[in-house]
Amino acid sequence: MTIGIDLGTTHCGVAHSQPDSAVEQFSIAQLINVGEVRDEPLLPSFLYIPTAQEADGAPYAVGYWAQKRGTETLGRLISSAKSWLSYSGVDRTSALLPLNAPEGVAKLSPVAAESAYLRHMRDAWDEAHPDAPFAQQEIVITVPASFDAVARELTLRAAADAGYPKVTLLEEPQAAFYAWIERHPDWRERVSAGDTVLVVDVGGGTTDFTLISIRDQKGELALERIAVGDHILLGGDNMDLALARLASHKLPNTKLDALQFQALWQQCRIAKEHLLDPSYDKDEYPVTILGRGSSLIGGTIKTKLTRAEVLAAIVEGFLPLVPSTEVPERGRRSALAEIGLPYAADARITAHLADFLARSGVRPTHVLFNGGVLRAPAIRARLLEFLGVPALEGENLMHAVARGAAYYGQARQGRGLRIRGGVSRTYYVGIESSLPAVPGFPAPMKALAVAPFGMEEGTHASFSTREFVVAVGQTAEFRFFSSPRHDAGGELLEELPEELTEMPPMEVTLTGEPGLVRVTLETVVTETGMLELWCVAKDGRRWKLEFNVREKVR
Amino acid sequence: MTSGKLPDDVIAALGLVQRVSVPKPAAAPVVKASDGALQVLGILQRDARLVDFLMEDISAYEDDQIGAAVRNIHEQSRKALNQYLKLAPVIDGVEGAYTKTPSDAASVKLIGNVPPDGKAPGGTLRHRGWKVESVNLPNIPAKANMSILAPAELEVE
Repeated sequence: MTIGIDLGTTHCGVAHSQPDSAVEQFSIAQLINVGEVRDEPLLPSFLYIPTAQEADGAPYAVGYWAQKRGTETLGRLISSAKSWLSYSGVDRTSALLPLNAPEGVAKLSPVAAESAYLRHMRDAWDEAHPDAPFAQQEIVITVPASFDAVARELTLRAAADAGYPKVTLLEEPQAAFYAWIERHPDWRERVSAGDTVLVVDVGGGTTDFTLISIRDQKGELALERIAVGDHILLGGDNMDLALARLASHKLPNTKLDALQFQALWQQCRIAKEHLLDPSYDKDEYPVTILGRGSSLIGGTIKTKLTRAEVLAAIVEGFLPLVPSTEVPERGRRSALAEIGLPYAADARITAHLADFLARSGVRPTHVLFNGGVLRAPAIRARLLEFLGVPALEGENLMHAVARGAAYYGQARQGRGLRIRGGVSRTYYVGIESSLPAVPGFPAPMKALAVAPFGMEEGTHASFSTREFVVAVGQTAEFRFFSSPRHDAGGELLEELPEELTEMPPMEVTLTGEPGLVRVTLETVVTETGMLELWCVAKDGRRWKLEFNVREKVR
Repeated sequence: MTSGKLPDDVIAALGLVQRVSVPKPAAAPVVKASDGALQVLGILQRDARLVDFLMEDISAYEDDQIGAAVRNIHEQSRKALNQYLKLAPVIDGVEGAYTKTPSDAASVKLIGNVPPDGKAPGGTLRHRGWKVESVNLPNIPAKANMSILAPAELEVE
């Protein structure tokens, strides 16, 4: 059996599949209230660190109750751990969450928090399926297409810490596409060779774009993922927050406490869902915050959101019709910034989309939506208007990713169609130029492309023309870069282009008799899609390079 | 990773009952007859703040102020009821239409011109009645003090 796991920023989902049978969803047992466990289709990705009284020493709780209880307290709730996993500005294996935890609260690392969600799903599965232990199934976990090699590696580490067996990673937009194929056995009649499908995935906290091209291969349709966008921390929560701010300005002059603001946020989300749906026949939706304390009616504050306001804030605010040459504002970051996630400076999803399409140089012929935000008909309509292409109808916005992952497990075993993907960025090793040293000027760096975009699973490439000298018994460090460029493997960039992002350095410690060893580099993309770099000596000895995420980069 | 195991532990630690639990020696029931009633009231307060509403003196407030809050309380109460108690009409018929008396005489109340023997083949359905079809309430922890419907909240500054 294959178990597909959608490890989402705000929610997780689980689906499973067996050869020659339909994909099924698994409901996740979780704590709903103190004393009450219930199966729910999704597991909220929230981790609450209880007090000693509450949990008698248990280190944490995850899911629905954790989210609810966490909002009542300060500094005990971890949210968006996944976004931290992809943020290179901090050591992602150090216990830093919750950021604002009071003294004495045991913090967790982003990796540990993700591991907690994964462990919960494994335990819930095992409890429900005593005769099909989790550890004996094939596991597929989805990650954003924009996750770089480090974030993927850390996801695997979280899974290993949670006691997972061998795990395959799958990119979320691909999973959404697999789910669509699984739902529509007649999909070959809906698209044809030469088409390019743009997958637009707007989740609670992130937005992701991917292009999948459909080609004719010996009379059969073949799929290839041809471009992947940047990781954009912008999603449905931003929209709800924008509405909550709008509504709070309309409330009579009262101070909302944290819980009331949460309630307001929830109410605004519900109002948004109604008002962005043309089948809702009224032009306004009430927003009511019940009084705190036992004076419920007396303390109730109420306002309303109108359709015009919601359309202006959401559709015009987040999805304006921008020219196709638009570039998102990068926003200036002050040198002394608080530690925090690198939220997108520009909230215009369409500007990010225009930029992505311009850089990929491809015009899509269809769009496939994914993510709960895109349930709103007005948002879909605006995106279709902006793109000018039809949508692939009949998707499952909330559960597609887990279902697609479960389907992919079967596809990997040859029972279904596979999207050719490969690595989602081009990776480079930095090479210092051998020039006479000039005081004050560091030696210029060159970059050697060692893993080109699209390098496929199960392939390897060696770069025997460039030798490095590494001392045995010491840690040797390699500078490492990635970019969305499509440079060929082995290409040497004389100057570092702006699109290159430096990643945590890769290091290797050679064991053996002291001395210097001449090595060449070899890149391997494993069957499960992981990128590996190896040092290979002339005599055939090999050492794997590992990311050093403990180093603070930049 | 911290040493802890997940929710099962938390659940156990919180003194809760697991959904699928290992059979344990049967202990004498400590649940009092009133506990179930208090539990339902506690749930309606927790999820919908129904007790706050019922206990508040609302005579001073304008109808639209009450209406705004009630919409919310009504929706949440209904959601909670649907979650924990499955309700259905006793007679799923049209009110105002002639309806035969069901075999379970205790499930109907005859009103109007009731015959001396207290039996009638049927009558006009005036109210469809309500019955609970299934109960899906969580188990009550052994040491729980059910008389606390909602704990007092103290915010630590």
